[in-house]
Amino acid sequence: MLGSYLPALVFLALGLVVGGVLTVLNGIIGPKRPGTVKEQPYECGLPSEVTSNFRFGISFYLIAMLFILFDIEVVFLYPVAVQLEAFGLFALIEIMVFIFLLFVAFVFVWRRGALEWR
Amino acid sequence: MSPVWFVALSAVIFCIGVGGVLMRRNPLVVLLCLELMLNGGNLALISFARMHGTGDGQIFALIVMVVAACEVVVGLGLIVAMYRRRLAIDVDSMSELRG
Amino acid sequence: MSLIAQVQAPTVDFRGLSPLIALVVGANVVLLAGLLRGAGVQRVLVPLLAAVTLIVAGALSVAIWETGDVEPLVQSALAMDTLTLSMSLLFYLAGLATIALSLRSSAVGEAGAGEYYTLLLASISGMVVLAAAENLITLFVGLELLSIPLYVLCGSAVRERASLESGLKYLVIGSVGSATVLYGLALIYGATGQTDLGRIAAAIGEQVEVGDPLLLTGIALTASGLAFKASVAPFHQWTPDVYQGAPTPITAFMAVATKTAAFAVFLRLFDAALSTNQVEWGPALAALALATILIGNVGAIGQRSLKRLLAWSGVAQAGYLLAGVVVGTRLGLQATAFYLATYLVMNMAAFAVVIASERVSERGDDISSVEGLGARSPVLAWPLTIAMLGLAGFPATAGFMGKFYLIDAAVDGQYAWLGVTIVVGSMISLVYYLRVVAAMWMAPDAPPLAGPVRRMSPASGGSPEADPRAQPETVAVALVCAALTIAIGIFPSPLFDLAVQVGTSISGI
Repeated sequence: MLGSYLPALVFLALGLVVGGVLTVLNGIIGPKRPGTVKEQPYECGLPSEVTSNFRFGISFYLIAMLFILFDIEVVFLYPVAVQLEAFGLFALIEIMVFIFLLFVAFVFVWRRGALEWR
Repeated sequence: MSPVWFVALSAVIFCIGVGGVLMRRNPLVVLLCLELMLNGGNLALISFARMHGTGDGQIFALIVMVVAACEVVVGLGLIVAMYRRRLAIDVDSMSELRG
Repeated sequence: MSLIAQVQAPTVDFRGLSPLIALVVGANVVLLAGLLRGAGVQRVLVPLLAAVTLIVAGALSVAIWETGDVEPLVQSALAMDTLTLSMSLLFYLAGLATIALSLRSSAVGEAGAGEYYTLLLASISGMVVLAAAENLITLFVGLELLSIPLYVLCGSAVRERASLESGLKYLVIGSVGSATVLYGLALIYGATGQTDLGRIAAAIGEQVEVGDPLLLTGIALTASGLAFKASVAPFHQWTPDVYQGAPTPITAFMAVATKTAAFAVFLRLFDAALSTNQVEWGPALAALALATILIGNVGAIGQRSLKRLLAWSGVAQAGYLLAGVVVGTRLGLQATAFYLATYLVMNMAAFAVVIASERVSERGDDISSVEGLGARSPVLAWPLTIAMLGLAGFPATAGFMGKFYLIDAAVDGQYAWLGVTIVVGSMISLVYYLRVVAAMWMAPDAPPLAGPVRRMSPASGGSPEADPRAQPETVAVALVCAALTIAIGIFPSPLFDLAVQVGTSISGI
């Protein structure tokens, strides 16, 4: 069964070897003339105004954390979706209850003002 | 390929996680290492599910994924709360509680 | 894939599940009620709803009480047998006491009443799931549902550095414990190919050898992960730090309810699923029990903070309780259940007094805060005295009966040396328990501190209310629990009968 993966493996190995060899050769025999322009992160456009100690507002973290939570809950829907016919009406009711509980959490988050951008 | 190798890999991942939790000082890295531990467990569960040909291990792994997300969110929340209060977020310097 | 093609919808026994459903519905109602504005809502309605939820769940648990090895519910995921139901009643009682103790806590105001009580209810429902778990998956879900709300509750006094620190510490250490349990469960599943505890018990000795290395590693990892939760040595180091930093009502809840839940799952996992392996894990757990009793009692001796002292004493008590698990007999199961009930009332009485006195004292929970308490307010000094004597195992208290039962079980299960260790540990424990009693009755009233004071643990300090009558609910919890400690010590037979009924829940031993 794993034999069917052989071409993919060969392709992966070839890609790594060719890419690696070319990169290394480039570093060895390529000319090096560093200048201030080349040291900059971008060759064109305006210099970056964001300094390294720039801090994200607290809203970024809050929204990101809420996103993780509501996003991962969807994982519970997959097993039910795969076996929907076997479960029948039972699955429908259970998923409704599950989504209702998520909805309660959503109402709480919304009314507490966690979704407002500060 | 035998599932035994996946179990061995899961053990390695779990041990990397344990080592990280014990040695790293940044709480964010500690949280990452906790994820490694949980996902080591996940890999073991899925490999065993494959070995035994039952679905239990797969369902278990799905549930662990959700639990891991909840744990990380609570951890991040606490770290952000400490950061907002300008507290040192270095697990070694947490010295309020000692003795 | 063919491996999950033959799935059928599970049969759900809603009558058996009713206590859990009540808890979850109550948690949601409390969460939404917390959104309403108004001081009356936050201070009265929300705690009241939470208390009503616990009372309803308790009444439903009594209604479905059935002795014997009952048929598990939901495709054998949960077993609502006497072990689960009796432990749930302990969780509900601990929850009610915690609600009463939290009413004046500043942590509730900082975290929001809705959030605080919802997390409490969620944690209790996790404990019920954990105690009822008949399946490795529900076991893990229960463990996490118990733990994650507690991490937040520990950090709920968000203005206090100590509280946040304790929350983060508990999260890191608790998660290490959970991940260890998970890996151990994965190995048990790998060795036996089953997640049902009943089928695992059937598979051990049949499909898989008793001494299978994969199985033994799994048992060892699971036991050490659960030892984190039950604060069994050498996995106890977090206990004093977290107990001290958390808001004191939450400390009381953790000390009592989390320990009860951890031991409920210890009992079910080791006595029901792994009982054929008792010769393998018995000596290992016995060694842990010995280490826990000695380390806990010695660690408590030098403590000045009452919360830390109770934390170390809780470690020692976990060692005593483990003796009931080690023997793997019906008597051990009964003794552990009995001791858990007595442990609840004694510890709740002690914590209620600590809360009452640290709210009025500028010394926080330092032992000097109770100096002269006997003369100042005997209504607080007596419960703490009774709790301390009970925890030390004095005759005519619940602690004596509980220890007697545990020693009996240890001797009966061929672990007489463990019984001797319990006696030795109790003797060591007199040093620090009696020091608290002496501070209350013999030391003169402590003079007020001069100058600015660095308070040790302000996490639960509310507005100072100098008179104990100003916080009647705290005093009431202390008095009721102290009265129960004496009552169980003098008339233990009703609780004995209950423990015997709990003993019928696991048939294999």
